[in-house]
Amino acid sequence: MTDQPIPHTAAPKPVLRLKSQKFREARQGDWRALSSQLDKVEKRGLGSFSIEELLNLPVLYRSAMSSLSMAQSISLDRNMITYLQALCVRAYVYVYGPQTRLKDVLKGFFIHAWPSAVRQLAREIALTFTIFVTGILAGWLLCSHDSSWYGLLLPGEQGSRDVGSSAAELRKTIGDGGDHALSPFAVFLMTHNVGVAISTFALGAFFGLPTFALILYTGITMGAMVWLFAQKGMGVEFAGWLTIHGTTELFAIIIAGACGFHIARRLMFPGDASRRTALAEAGLLTGTAMIGVAIMLTIAGCLEGIGRQTITDTMVRFAIGLVMLTIWCLYFTGVGRGKAATDRFGKSGDA
Amino acid sequence: MAKREKRDLIGDAPYGEYGRTASEILTPEGVILPFINATFGERVGALVIDILIMIVVPILVLIVWLILPLEHVFEDNKNKALASFLQIIALFFLFFLRSGYFIFFEMGARAATPGKRAMKLRVISQDGGRLTPAAVFTRNAMREVELYLPVPLVFVMVAGSHSLGAWLAGLWALGMLLLPLFNTQHARLGDFLAGTRVVHMPKASLSYDLADLESDRGLGISFTPEQLAYGEMELSVLEQVLRERKTTVMRAVAVKIKARIGWVDPQNDAPNDESFLRAYYGALRAHLESRMLLGKRRKDKNAAPV
Repeated sequence: MTDQPIPHTAAPKPVLRLKSQKFREARQGDWRALSSQLDKVEKRGLGSFSIEELLNLPVLYRSAMSSLSMAQSISLDRNMITYLQALCVRAYVYVYGPQTRLKDVLKGFFIHAWPSAVRQLAREIALTFTIFVTGILAGWLLCSHDSSWYGLLLPGEQGSRDVGSSAAELRKTIGDGGDHALSPFAVFLMTHNVGVAISTFALGAFFGLPTFALILYTGITMGAMVWLFAQKGMGVEFAGWLTIHGTTELFAIIIAGACGFHIARRLMFPGDASRRTALAEAGLLTGTAMIGVAIMLTIAGCLEGIGRQTITDTMVRFAIGLVMLTIWCLYFTGVGRGKAATDRFGKSGDA
Repeated sequence: MAKREKRDLIGDAPYGEYGRTASEILTPEGVILPFINATFGERVGALVIDILIMIVVPILVLIVWLILPLEHVFEDNKNKALASFLQIIALFFLFFLRSGYFIFFEMGARAATPGKRAMKLRVISQDGGRLTPAAVFTRNAMREVELYLPVPLVFVMVAGSHSLGAWLAGLWALGMLLLPLFNTQHARLGDFLAGTRVVHMPKASLSYDLADLESDRGLGISFTPEQLAYGEMELSVLEQVLRERKTTVMRAVAVKIKARIGWVDPQNDAPNDESFLRAYYGALRAHLESRMLLGKRRKDKNAAPV
């Protein structure tokens, strides 16, 4: 750090020094000051700064930046340039780092970024919805044609709800009376669903084919289950049980599938942009939508946890489910439209 | 970032480390900042540390749970609400470790998981802008297809049968794992989709300046311009040699330089290798820097003299 002791011969003449050495001597105080400020940020965060120090930080940063750009054209001292590069890079990520407050981030996400991302995915959502409905129809038709399909399509359901189950047994599975509202099972379902949604999304990177299969399979199993309950004359009850959380949950899964298809589309057909840019754009858009999906699945989990135990009237279940669906549709189509593009969430700032 | 031609001048080589590549980002001040790309090894190292944390932490929690004398609290279905509450906490905890760990830490101010921090890595946005929550989510959601799905699949398949499926899963996992090797920035699939890159953040310290023309003058060593027959590349290597101060290396370098420039040691009071090299370093740097001010730069000894 400090100058190594070098035997100096007494020189009466003016000290002989390089321009780059004078440059360094004049400025290294500022560099060290910036470096110690950065150490402080890294250890204790910006909160520990006084107003004066905060105002001084960009000044020091600009001075280091100008030192670097000058050093690169006048100095060949590798250690100094290396030091300056590292210092500027460290300072850069703080000075241009995420400056928005949590409040602004949340506002930007809920008011603008999330609904607008979902709107931009409208075509993919329509596609996913079609696939899903096709799956439901296929599941129903397969099972009504030959009931042995049911065991084949839902191998995990043997024992609890299969073709042989009686109406009473089936009724038990859709929850008439449980013991406590805070059921860990609902949490398990929610975390599981978020995992499935993330897979559905991520698998879109394989040209969308696994996403297609997953959505279709989800539809088929649902169609098969609807058929089973309808068989025993419990179709309406089952639909009510499904609607209360399903409108939110299935909507979320459909959006996740749409996100998967979106990255598949931008991967295969990047359009005017380069594939790299297209992928990055698609990733940010779908990332925003997927955070929303996680939120929706959390809400669905709460609805299921409460609805399974406390709300047993089919009509009320229908009402809550449809109200949720209406809210989601209004939210996605209406909120944040025509706002100035101050998107503080999904897109990166002024770079 | 436009693709730039590879240049080797000192000021452009990232941190003087010639072996590494850098992503250059143009700051709003108009300065090109090189961010060193993390190497494949560093990335794997960080991942291994993170996965170890993700495995060890739940095991520790389980051990603590077993050690705590809690058997009679929950026997005979007492405290049922507490039990289900604890179950919920446990589920959320496992969920966080599986899906939230990377996202949580990378959304923080340091933009790095503990593993990345240990390897001095950091996630940045590739265009130099802010790292957004959406980008962090996407790059980590992609771990699902890069890591969580294929790797267990390989184990299951290999244990079960050496079928076509095992080979396909193996290829998939291998392809995803090795993707960072096939691009200069060592980006994985999630990085491409989120527009992020992982960079190395070295903490360089400012050392002393090696050039000391005063004491060189005292030694009475001087060189003619013809003798200063090297470029910036050699100068930086010489600087490294002088900073490391290994006697054998300095001797070898001094012998090479003396042979190349036709140096004859003075009869009496010949300088030792270190003072000779320091003097030569000072003279060469003074020469190259003075030409540099006129916009003439010499990349290495094979380039035309300036």
